[in-house]
Amino acid sequence: MEKSGIDSGVREIMSKDMVIEVKNLSVNRSGSLVIKDANFEVLKGDYVGIVGPNGGGKTTLLLALLGQIPKASGTIRLFGKSIESFNEWERVAFVPQDATNFDANFPLSVRELVSLGRLGRKRIGKRLSKIDWDEVDSALEFMGLSEVAERRIGELSGGQKQRMFVAMALVRDPDVIIMDEPVAGIDAATQEKFYQKMSDLNQKRGITIMMVSHDLSAVFCRMSKVICVNKEVNVAEIRPDVDLEGVLRKAYGDHFHFVFHRHECKGEFKA
Amino acid sequence: MMEALGVIGLRGMIGGAGLTGFMNSSVSLMELLNYQFFQNAILGGLAAGFACAWIGLFLVLRKEAMIVDGVAHTAFGGVALGLLLGIDPLITALGISIVSVFGVSHMKRKGLAESDSAIALMLAIGFSTGLIIISIAGGFSVDLFSYLFGSILTISRSDLLMILVLGMVIIAFLTVFHKELLAITFDERGAKMMGIPVDTILTMFNLIVAITITLSIKIIGIILVVALIVIPALTALQLRASFAKTVISTILIGLASVVVGIIASIFYNVATSGVIVFTMLLIYLTTTALFRWMR
Repeated sequence: MEKSGIDSGVREIMSKDMVIEVKNLSVNRSGSLVIKDANFEVLKGDYVGIVGPNGGGKTTLLLALLGQIPKASGTIRLFGKSIESFNEWERVAFVPQDATNFDANFPLSVRELVSLGRLGRKRIGKRLSKIDWDEVDSALEFMGLSEVAERRIGELSGGQKQRMFVAMALVRDPDVIIMDEPVAGIDAATQEKFYQKMSDLNQKRGITIMMVSHDLSAVFCRMSKVICVNKEVNVAEIRPDVDLEGVLRKAYGDHFHFVFHRHECKGEFKA
Repeated sequence: MMEALGVIGLRGMIGGAGLTGFMNSSVSLMELLNYQFFQNAILGGLAAGFACAWIGLFLVLRKEAMIVDGVAHTAFGGVALGLLLGIDPLITALGISIVSVFGVSHMKRKGLAESDSAIALMLAIGFSTGLIIISIAGGFSVDLFSYLFGSILTISRSDLLMILVLGMVIIAFLTVFHKELLAITFDERGAKMMGIPVDTILTMFNLIVAITITLSIKIIGIILVVALIVIPALTALQLRASFAKTVISTILIGLASVVVGIIASIFYNVATSGVIVFTMLLIYLTTTALFRWMR
């Protein structure tokens, strides 16, 4: 009797920290198998990099996790609830790959766009309050956009646009932010700043972050977990004692050589 | 039809048989305010201008402006039906407008036709039905033309009441759902993911578009409704301002054009809907030239 009590206690703590739990997940897209038998967990506070070759199924995996495309088999649980019955979408913020490809002439200021992040199922038709606008301003400040808050969204640089969409995600006060290639097409220095911001969010605010990235050294320096996707899904904790090259080869193929020097991380390797 | 148009002439279009004498005498603007026809016209015009401009901004940004033209022409069938059956043509026009707005969005959703082709099809069904009804009934002459070209100077108190009530429904909807509509207009998929009930709000929006078109038929006429919806938004978008400022400018341009158009048309004795649209075009051209030159 006592043993089972402990067991259920352990399970409770586990489920409290569980953000995403995927078991035997397969996903088809236009008739062909894109994700095959994936199993992984994302825990509260994780900073997860999703890597893999183009066309390997990274975006498909994210869309399945967000309930945007149906799964062929397996289970997805978000915050302990099966995705079929999950309805707390305000806890999940998503920044899609093509977010920055908006109509540059759309009449919106940066502050107005970010404020739209406050909308949702529970507050249809309600006006934005002072609290809402304070949240918007503090998200803009955190993302370093205060000075361009009144500019039109089309006038921002690529890096600023990206940060604007993260700010829009932030005002939702989410538990997890999922981003699909947020730094694509942005110069290296700006990318570096972006990753730094995301580390801050993850460490200072305890927000779980999942991000598709092609920058393997950024993933290994800054993040806590890597999910390699190429139809098959392999997951590894990012620690010095884990054979990361072996994990990557499963996704990128045997000809793949990943030369990684720990000193590149400037002491930021999360061990 | 062309013969009839020639007979009625411009004065007929503004429904101005009784106004001819009025225009020849020198009446000041202040005196004009005492006339009930003028009060009705200004009130009805302001309601239509306000509603059309605001909803028009969303339609222009959604790249759906031409749905208005299609639905308005379809409503012509509704007007003819109303005249034939002897019920208020605005009520039948409203019914047909609602059916055609949902028809277009249904065809688009089911992949039966692209938006522009679906609109063309609806326009064809409504307008041809209207023509057949007219020829069966032996023509309604003046009455029908007042719907085609608007007759703002002769709207009755009961027309005005209907216009004001519909106008308030539209403005109430936009006031309540304006943020959600903006989110949907900017990024429909994203709005859905945020938990906004996109389908429900878009269904209501379609209904509101149909109401806006019907409300404007008496004011501006079936042919030119699309101008009242599109031009103020197009002009305000030239300002390259925030959304809040764009909405306010759009509405102000709509209201100003209607008022200037009504007054100018009375003093110069020309078709009111023509002058309203012409005023809008002048504001559009001036704004465009000014902002191109400033940049």
